[in-house]
Formats: sequence, structure tokens, C-alpha cells
Amino acid sequence: MKALNLNQIKTLEYKRPEIDRGYANQTLHVNVSNADMAIKPVSEEMKRTFVGGKGFDLWLLWQAVSAETGWQDPENTICIASGPMGGTPSYPGSGKSIVTALSPLTGSVIDSNVGGYFGPYLKFSGFDAMEIQGNADTEVVIYIDGVSEKVSIYEAKDLPADSYGTSTMLSRHFGGDKPRGVSVVSTGSGAKHTLMGCLNFTWYDPKRKHVRYKQAGRGGLGTVFAHKNVKAIVARWENVTMDGNRPADKDTLKTVAKCYSKEIVTLDPKQNEMAKVGTTHLVPIMNDFDLLPTHNFKFGQHKMAGLIGKEAYKDIFDPGFDGCWMGCTVACSHGIKNFIPLTGPYKGQTVFVDGPEYETIAGCGSNLGIFDPFTIAELNFYCDAYGMDTISVGTSIGFVMECFENGVIDKTHTGGMDIKFGNRDAALELVHQMGRGEGFGAIVGQGVRKMKSEFVSRYHADAAFLNDIGMESKGLEFSEYMTKESLAQQGGYGMALKGPQHDEAWLIFLDMVHNYMPTFEQKAEALHWFPMFRTWFSLCGLCKLPWNDIVPEDNKDTEEPAKVMKHVSWYAQYFSAVTGRKAKPDDLIAISEKVYNFQRIFNLKMGFGKRSQDVIPYRAMGPVTEEEYESRQERYDGQLTDEHGVDIEGKSTAEKVATLRKLREEKYETLKDAVYARRGWSPDGIPTLKTVKRLGIDFPDVVELLAQNGVTE
Amino acid sequence: MIRLDDDHLPWRDGMTVADLLALVPDGHQYAVIKVNGRYVSRPVFKKYMIPDNAEIRLIPMIAGG
Repeated sequence: MKALNLNQIKTLEYKRPEIDRGYANQTLHVNVSNADMAIKPVSEEMKRTFVGGKGFDLWLLWQAVSAETGWQDPENTICIASGPMGGTPSYPGSGKSIVTALSPLTGSVIDSNVGGYFGPYLKFSGFDAMEIQGNADTEVVIYIDGVSEKVSIYEAKDLPADSYGTSTMLSRHFGGDKPRGVSVVSTGSGAKHTLMGCLNFTWYDPKRKHVRYKQAGRGGLGTVFAHKNVKAIVARWENVTMDGNRPADKDTLKTVAKCYSKEIVTLDPKQNEMAKVGTTHLVPIMNDFDLLPTHNFKFGQHKMAGLIGKEAYKDIFDPGFDGCWMGCTVACSHGIKNFIPLTGPYKGQTVFVDGPEYETIAGCGSNLGIFDPFTIAELNFYCDAYGMDTISVGTSIGFVMECFENGVIDKTHTGGMDIKFGNRDAALELVHQMGRGEGFGAIVGQGVRKMKSEFVSRYHADAAFLNDIGMESKGLEFSEYMTKESLAQQGGYGMALKGPQHDEAWLIFLDMVHNYMPTFEQKAEALHWFPMFRTWFSLCGLCKLPWNDIVPEDNKDTEEPAKVMKHVSWYAQYFSAVTGRKAKPDDLIAISEKVYNFQRIFNLKMGFGKRSQDVIPYRAMGPVTEEEYESRQERYDGQLTDEHGVDIEGKSTAEKVATLRKLREEKYETLKDAVYARRGWSPDGIPTLKTVKRLGIDFPDVVELLAQNGVTE
Repeated sequence: MIRLDDDHLPWRDGMTVADLLALVPDGHQYAVIKVNGRYVSRPVFKKYMIPDNAEIRLIPMIAGG
């Protein structure tokens, strides 16, 4: 391995503050254009309103950018934060970092919640959040050494192009004989050449003695990072204990952490076995319920899906502890050891693959018609190494595969590749081309929205068809769930602030399978409560999975089983015990509501955030083609006749497709009305003045922005 | 005999998952169960035969994702 070539540009020495009740009470600002560094205070009002994590990120980003700022501009700022509970060992899922910036895919705010050690180490080093602004002339590495109380910027030469190589070298260099004491954020060549770059956050695996990775995947954060010429950020910290956050009430914290941890250890083996198989258990379940995207979300089921689910990966994953934060008993970050790629720059070498998780299996597997677990593992490995989001990659390749099969594009466009569904070699080649920024892969790497426009303008494709089958909303590719039969989940995707990612609201089972919310009002209530509570995790530096992927045995007997209120109550105790801010379960929703609405208004500032942007392609609502309709004809015919009283006698499939479409599109608009009303928004989807006043986010520039958009009450 | 979580129930030839859940309080609430470690989902409850000596786990999966 080559020696590191780092040339120190500038160092900031600082006095590390004591963490108090989960806060360092200051943030770090780094401008890589001129190597300026500054430390900013965190006010009590900032903590009260924005809590931390994504809340702090949004507040810092709001001040950094104007309505005219584009993602490539130096003003665009990557913000990374943990949260007040971030860095607590023993309480499951307490090691998250939240990253925000203006997205190359959407043009507005993107946020991503990621594991690994970085966020906690950043905080323990003295910073609740960090901002990276500017665009450097040469590649730089930022090193935050909490032990020595220094932040340094280095010019970096000759670091590997891929994220794995870079992280491994920097971990060895800065970690020395204590590799667990550093965490690296980096990306790879694919982030430079596409708009869907991800960030890899590391954690050190002491048993396997190498660096492991989690991804801040969505929205092209890695692309912004690469464009800024930031090669990596490294944080160093060595002493993680229950006292690290100096909690307000350590006894309560220990008690509630112990209860939660014990419950997961007891129940996970009985329920989803996430400590053994991660989220792969979802594959067969989604397939059984017709919810697993196959062939660009055309269908929800495939006879070969059993080859790529839990039963396959439980034998392929390397057994062992796979927690991406210390002491997490969910420990779902599994991987494959001694994997030998058949293609690309690592061909024939032995590597460790971090993953795959459900989203990658569905996105890079079933959605592409690929049912080989090893091909999916290889796609996973290279997406990570090149620094690309497996969800956007999978959904974008699915789109071009359908375009190819429909003759929208042909071999003259793909460089001779036959990119039909199921072609593993073509999928891998496209990923390599994306990593290199070459060939047809360079076009795929622009994402579905740009491809639609390109294919229409250059290849005279049918715009209406591409809009129907192109699985993006707000410019972001869909994550991997079928929503045709769940109106609530259509809203969960379509009204999600950043675009169609399920972390805001995953209501398919509650809606479609359990029918917990038959009315529009009930769906609207769910599309209020769940996004608010899910947002709360990202304010605090937490993972959502322990909340409702493992549930108490008596949960079904509670008044609102969908909310898993026993766990919500524990989270309220946890929040109070760390921050000293007394909170009951309902208070958590009120806390989140401030930040959630602020982010909606941030979208408005960037020219989005209105009803007209809360749209989804018809493929997400119902059958676009006659083939789709006829594949589930009994279901759709039944809905037309029984639910809607339509006389279908003598109607052609095309006529029935059109009739169903009209009905479903009307329902979606009615849902929007109900949700906006429940959230305290105008019919155009903008938070009202009354709402922002109630939430205490009626800052002068917010009020002015609302007025500019005609909202004065 | 089959084992259902921590209880034992009599087994009969031809017993399906749907038959079993009919015997369980609130059995209609379950969308997914595990039979000898493998997931069985509601769409196949009526045709999935439970083998004798099976170990069954009721999965309260309602809101993951």
C-alpha cells in the first residue's frame, strides 16, 4: 500500500468543552475554499427549537444558503450532526449521524440518517454539528482530533479513488494502534461522476479487525462532498461511556436503557431475528403481500424472490456482532466475508461486503429482475466503493431496463449493451460505468428525472409514458416498496419532505394489510403522527429500527398498537434523562413538528414545498399498462365494480385502466387535502402563519417567505 | 403436538395456519407467522399445512420499514 501523502494546510487548536446533558453547546464551521475554521455557539433557543441532529443541520443550512443557491455553489453546506442522545452506549440505536445539504437530484434540502461512529465522535470532540462550506481547489482531508483538541485541514494527494481504500488508509494512519478510536466519512469516484453519490461512515469491527461502513445514501450527499473536493473527514475520540453525554439523570438512563436492551435481546430472536439476518427478513414478506418491487415497480411479486431473502443471506452473512454503534442489541449491519467480485477493479480479490440490506436487495435485485444473491452483493459492494446510493442506482437502472424493453432506447444508446431485465452483467457494467463516469452509465447516473427529460428531447420518447414509469418524485428515486394498493403509503412517499423515502412514513402494513386507517381522516392522522415521530429520531441522533421492528409481546393489546406506545414512552424517558427536558410521549411529537414544518418551509424557500411538488408517478398509484392490469385483473375488476360501482361489462382493458386511473388520482388529491388540513397547512401545502406561530418558528424571514407565497393567516 | 410461542397445542393432520389462528385469541391480527423458522404470510395462511411438532412464532409485525 502506498504511503499517505497529506500536507497540512491549517490547524485550529481549541479547548474542548465538557458535554452537558447531551450537548457540546458549539458547532464547527469549516470553509474549504479558504481553509477558514470557526467555532460557533449553540444557544438555548436553538436547542429548544431544533433539538439537535437534523434540526441543527437545517438551521445551519438555512442560514448558509439563499433561494438562489445551487448544489454546486460554494455556499451549499454539508451539515453533519449527532443529537443529544447520540453516543449513548447501551441504549439500542444511539449512534446515528444526520447529514443535510442541498441535493443535486432535487435542488432542495436532503437529509440522511446514517450509522457508524462519526457523529458521536464529533460531539465528544466538542461539536454538536459541523458545517463544510466552500469548494476546495485541491482534494482535502479534514481531521477533527478530539483527544488532542485540534482540527486540521490537509491537502490530500494520491489517496485511492474508491471510498473503501480511502477509509482504510485513513483509519490506519489516524487510528494507529487504536483503530476503533477513529471514524472516517468519505465517498468515491462514482460520487464525482453521478448525481447520486453517497457518503460512507465507518465503524471499526474489533472482532474482524477491519473497518466497516454505513451509508448516508439518499439524495446525492456524496456528490456534493466530492464536488467540494473533500476527500474525507476523520474524527478521533477514544473514551465512550454512559457518562459521555453527562446525562441529567444517569440512574433513569441506565434503567430505561437496560429495559430496552433486554427486551430486544429477548424478543428479536422470536420475531424478526435482525441480529442474525438484518432486514433481509422483509424480502419474502414483501413478496408474499405483492409489495416487493420487481421490473421497475411493475409488479410486487416474483416466483424467484425466495432466492434473495432471509433464507439465502442467513447462510451467506458472516455470523458475529454487527452493531454499527457500541452496545446496540439490534445489531443489524451484517456483511459477507471472503467475497470475491467477478468484475471491476476488485475482480478476483477477497473483500468484505457490508450488506446487503432489504433496500439494496430489492433495488439492485428484484427490481432489476436479478435473483442471484451474489450479484446483488457485488452490486452492493461496488456502489459502496464508488460512493453511490444503492436505492437510486437500482431504481434508475430499473427505469432504463424498462425503457430498453419498450424500445424507448436501444443498443445504439447503451453502447451495445442488452439491458433487459435480469441481465446481471449489464447491471454490473452500468455500475462500473457510473463509477468511471463513462458510457451509458454516465447518463444513468444523472437519475430518473434527468433521464426522462433527456430521452424525450434526444430520442423523442413519449413523455407521458416516461412520467408514468419513471419512479421519482421531487427528483429523488423511490425507495423499494410497492404502493399501488396503499393510498396512505402513496401519501407517505408523495408528501415526504425530501422525496420518496420511507423513513418518514411506512404505512403499507398498517393501511393495506391491517386496514387500520380506512378513512381519509385516519390516513391523514397517520400521515401526521408517523412522520413527526420518525423525524424525532433524527433530531436526537437515534435509529428508528428498535422502536417498531421489535415490539413488546403485549403490544397488540394496547389502545394504539401501531404506535408501539410502550417504546415511545421509554423514548420520552430517555430524552428527559439525557437532556433534563421533561417530556411525555405527546411532547415528542410537538418537538418534531417544529422541525418538520421548518423543513417544509425550507423547501418553499428553494422553490419547492407546494402541492404541485407532492406528486408521484402513476406507476406508484396503479397499473400503467394493460399488462400490469391483466396480471391482477381479478383485483382491479373487483375494485372497479365493488368499491366504485363501475359497470365494466364490455369494457376493454385500456378503458378499465383509464377508469381506475381517474378514480385513484382523485383519491390521492383528496388525501392531500386531508393531510394538509391535519398538518395545519394551506390547501396549497404551505404551513399557515397560524401554524408557524403555534410552533414558535415564526422567524421574520419565515413570515416574509410565507407572505411572498400568499400565506398571511 | 405443536408449540405456539410458549404454549403447546394439539396437532391434527391437514391443519393449516388459518386453522391454527382460528384457535388463537386475536388470531386475525397476525399477518405473518414463523413456522419452524420460516415466514408464512397471510396470503397463504389457508393453504399452508403445519407439520407435526412444528414450532410456531406469532410475529406482531405491524409498522416496520
